[in-house]
Amino acid sequence: MLSAPLVITLTLLYVGLLFVIALYAQKRQRDNKSIVNNSTVYTLSLAVFLTSWTYYGSVGRAATSGLDFLPIYLGPTLVAFCWWFTVRKLVRICKANKIVSIADFISSRYGKSVSLGALVTLFTLIGITPYIALQLKAVSRTFDIITTANISGVHILSQHYEALPAFIDTAFVFSVVLGLFAILFGARTLDSSESHDGMVATIAFESIVKLLALLLVGVYVTYFLFDGFSDVFTQATRQFPHITQTFLLGKTGSTSYATWFSLTFISMAAVMFLPRQFHMLVIENNNEEHIRAAMWKFPAYMFLITLFATPIAMAGLLLNQGDTTAADFFVLQIPLLNGHKWLALIVYIGGFSAAAGMIIVESMTMATMLLNHLFVPILLRFNRNNERNFSGLLINLKRMGILLVLGLGYLYHRTMANTTSLVDIGLISFVAVTQFVPAMIGGLYWKRANHFGVTIGLLLGFSIWTYTLLVPAFASAGLLPDSIVVDGPFQIGLLRPLELFGLTGLDVWSHALFWSFFFNFGSFLTISLLTQSSTEENEQAHRFVDVFAPAHRPAQLTRMVKAPTIMEFVELIGKFIGKKQAESAIADYLGNQEIEASGKLSDEHLPALKNFTELTLAGSVGAAPAKIIVENYLATRGSRMEDVFNVFGSVTLSRTSSREQLAVLYDVARQVGSGTSLKSTLDEILNLISHQFRIDLCVIWLYEESADDLQIRAKIPLGEEFDHEVAGLLHDPLLKETFIQGNYHVINDLSSALPSHRPLVKVGIKALLHVPIIAEGDTIGVLSAYSTSAKGLFTEEFIELLTSVANQIGIAWRNSCLTEEMIAVKEQEKELEIAKHIQHDLLPDKAPDVEGIELHGLCVPTNQIGGDYYDYLHRDRERIDLVIADVSGHSIGAALLIAETRAFIRAKSESLQGPAQIIRAVNAFILTDLDRAEMFITLFYASYDAINQTLRYASAGHNHPMIWRAASGRCDHLDVNGLILGVKEDVIYEEKETEMASGDLLILFTDGLTEAENHTGDFFGEDRLEELLREYHFLPTEQIIDRIMEQARLFTGTRSFRDDVTIVLMKTL
Amino acid sequence: MKRDNLFLREAWRLFFFLGIILINFPFVQIFDKPVLIGGIPLLLLYFLIGWPLSILVILIFSRYHADDHNHDKEKG
Repeated sequence: MLSAPLVITLTLLYVGLLFVIALYAQKRQRDNKSIVNNSTVYTLSLAVFLTSWTYYGSVGRAATSGLDFLPIYLGPTLVAFCWWFTVRKLVRICKANKIVSIADFISSRYGKSVSLGALVTLFTLIGITPYIALQLKAVSRTFDIITTANISGVHILSQHYEALPAFIDTAFVFSVVLGLFAILFGARTLDSSESHDGMVATIAFESIVKLLALLLVGVYVTYFLFDGFSDVFTQATRQFPHITQTFLLGKTGSTSYATWFSLTFISMAAVMFLPRQFHMLVIENNNEEHIRAAMWKFPAYMFLITLFATPIAMAGLLLNQGDTTAADFFVLQIPLLNGHKWLALIVYIGGFSAAAGMIIVESMTMATMLLNHLFVPILLRFNRNNERNFSGLLINLKRMGILLVLGLGYLYHRTMANTTSLVDIGLISFVAVTQFVPAMIGGLYWKRANHFGVTIGLLLGFSIWTYTLLVPAFASAGLLPDSIVVDGPFQIGLLRPLELFGLTGLDVWSHALFWSFFFNFGSFLTISLLTQSSTEENEQAHRFVDVFAPAHRPAQLTRMVKAPTIMEFVELIGKFIGKKQAESAIADYLGNQEIEASGKLSDEHLPALKNFTELTLAGSVGAAPAKIIVENYLATRGSRMEDVFNVFGSVTLSRTSSREQLAVLYDVARQVGSGTSLKSTLDEILNLISHQFRIDLCVIWLYEESADDLQIRAKIPLGEEFDHEVAGLLHDPLLKETFIQGNYHVINDLSSALPSHRPLVKVGIKALLHVPIIAEGDTIGVLSAYSTSAKGLFTEEFIELLTSVANQIGIAWRNSCLTEEMIAVKEQEKELEIAKHIQHDLLPDKAPDVEGIELHGLCVPTNQIGGDYYDYLHRDRERIDLVIADVSGHSIGAALLIAETRAFIRAKSESLQGPAQIIRAVNAFILTDLDRAEMFITLFYASYDAINQTLRYASAGHNHPMIWRAASGRCDHLDVNGLILGVKEDVIYEEKETEMASGDLLILFTDGLTEAENHTGDFFGEDRLEELLREYHFLPTEQIIDRIMEQARLFTGTRSFRDDVTIVLMKTL
Repeated sequence: MKRDNLFLREAWRLFFFLGIILINFPFVQIFDKPVLIGGIPLLLLYFLIGWPLSILVILIFSRYHADDHNHDKEKG
């Protein structure tokens, strides 16, 4: 016997070692030098399949019922031969869809169904609880045995001694320690799709320990206590001759062939679909090539670990004089009985490894399932807008999940485990997991398998499982009355849980397996065949079943309306997995993709980003919740996905289209492309249809905004005598419905139709078909076909054809709209061009010949039509008047007002005296027009007398012209007050006079010049103008203006002038 | 190359179904006799020899398949 403190210390030291290994593996993972990324570690991690059930239970089973422990390993060996297809396919699917558990797989495959995910999770939780309990039982029991066993006594196992004080429950202590370990290494981060190197390394190490321990004790028993296999069997069969029987199958043996087959089958399912197996096999797989090696390595491991089960069992029987009461613990008892307490301790550590590995992985995977399929959907239900940051809450929920799973296992252990043997407890879980076989295999290979079939199948399968396995177990533990098992509920014999519907002669496992599978698989097949799956489910089915096939299905073109920015996506992901992880995930994803300045992706990348967001979230919360989260989020923002208008998609041609149909479609498409007028295109299309299919009456209705109703745009036959009849068809309610709903409507026999169709019947119509005409996603009209001669004319093929034709009409309509718009724009441009010419002609083409001056003017409009104007009014050889004006705006209206002003000035300036008088008269004349047009004009008028070299001038709010004085080399501003034109009726304008000397320059300009802006927003300004006048005053006026314009253009740089620029320059000679 | 590959793919299925036959009724009945060979029950001996043999076959095939697979990525 070993002292309890010693065993506790050693156990804790061993757990410490596991921690160190896990930490080391994690460090290597961070350094990108993973130690778990090889096929041997992968295989060893799969050996988590072999729990304390194998470790202790196989020997127990071999001692009591001979060979029936073998199918549990032969089944997995056989199924491993298929891993290259099955597991590789699973791995491929799970990586592509970020699937993290078996519940996630089933939920994703069947249309990302939330309810199915929850169902699978609940069933797995119930199914797996006995299995957890089994491990706790094994660990705590072996602890008690090793610390309390009296070496001298042979029957040390017949009574259970508690090693620890009564108030400490060993199983409870183990639950807590292992729970903490699982939390530390399995629930460190939320993303369950990433690999957990620490955990995998620990499991692999534990697999080595349990294998070595069992081999050690096996070799010791077989070759040291006895003289090899032969000897131990010979002694056993000599002492207990009946043993030979236990090593037989069939009627003579202890195990029937049915049991044998059932055990093989359920263990095949278990090795793939137990949550921990699925996790290790699929989710933690880093390289598909590892699967190939595992196909023989894993069976080899199982062979080795079970190799000595029978000799140990025989030795145990011999040492216990045939007593099998505690055969489950022969492995531990034999070294103890022979005084090898250190060997016993190694065995105990091996058993602890087997149990701990299973508990850690199982609780972690179960917690992931609980989180993704129960906790998150519930959270989302109460928090639809994703307002809260969940990342912290979620990881803690996952940790709680681990403790919950262990807690349930502990509870089961407390209430049930003492009544049943290890193997029996384990098999209950195995049969539960077998219920997933139809959903999984169907999901992998059968596209028709749908979620109705799976849901009903699982519900029935698990109900039968509960009834045929759990109920008897509860009854034997005293939790339910025995009468239920013996006589059936309410004394109904047919409902006896162990002989359901009168099926007798089968062992409990085969019985449960047969009935549960019969109902599960049967309803799965039948309902899947009878029901239709949704589009989304179909898409998932293709994605899963055809995962190896190259993607030949054309990607659906969608775009996102009101798309969120990248940062908003990051924020959303961050709420669930933490901000840092979200940012790095998005950064990895975006890589070199082009991002617009606004932080948005271009249209074609957005749907991909949405999918990425969904996938990233799926890694943490499961596929179904991820879909809900993203959709809720987009919905609250008003974003949505919509199909991209695809011109080529409008023609739907199926393989079944007849030659006639193809010919019609071809002709219609040619007609649409011909570019003739809409009217003749529509007529021609109707002609084609009626000619080819002998339709009595065909009408194209298009919506007219002016009438706010559908109007006939084309019809066949053409004769006017039908007009009255056709107009009556407008009142057909189905026509409006087709237009509003955008779906086709067909009635192949009007005689049995609604009363509202009677008017149609009256005019002799027997069948009708309305197909919506759709252009760029909007319904714009209806294409109708009526038959007056035959019923039942409109077959599905014809509807399909007419839908294609209607789409072509939509394109024709769109083309015609575009053409009309283009013509309108062209015409407008032409008008503007004419206006531009007229306006240009209004400006003086050359300066008049006046003595003593040189004169030049320039007007550069920014648009085709300018708002500036200048003019010279030549009085005689000594006198000239100069006008410059600027009207607000650049419209045609502005141009007309300028023309009006010009005409007035030209006509009246002779009769009016002086600039002030002229401006006053102009103001009075044009006021009404300006007022009406809500415009105004600034105008400067100067009158130059060449003999006296005097300049008289007046201004209506125009910017001040300048005189550059040759004598001083400086500029004078001609500042004179005056209100702009178009404000008040009677305005008195100020008039001033100045003298000019030889060489002086008078410059009139509009603010387009001085307010020309450069890229920093500075104005060109009057100072620069003055500088230029000084610099170039000696040049002819035309060249000075050229230099000014050149400098102004240099000043504005790449910017164009914002306003018209007009300059009039006069030089006195 | 393609034909060989197809053969290999079918071979895995063959092994699987062959395995099911070899460990189940009625085939197993051949060894299901109260006979001891060297003291060991015949049926146990059958499994103790047959099981590692089948693993060996898979080992050889997976190696062979791996060489082939490197040339021609199969589609599953």
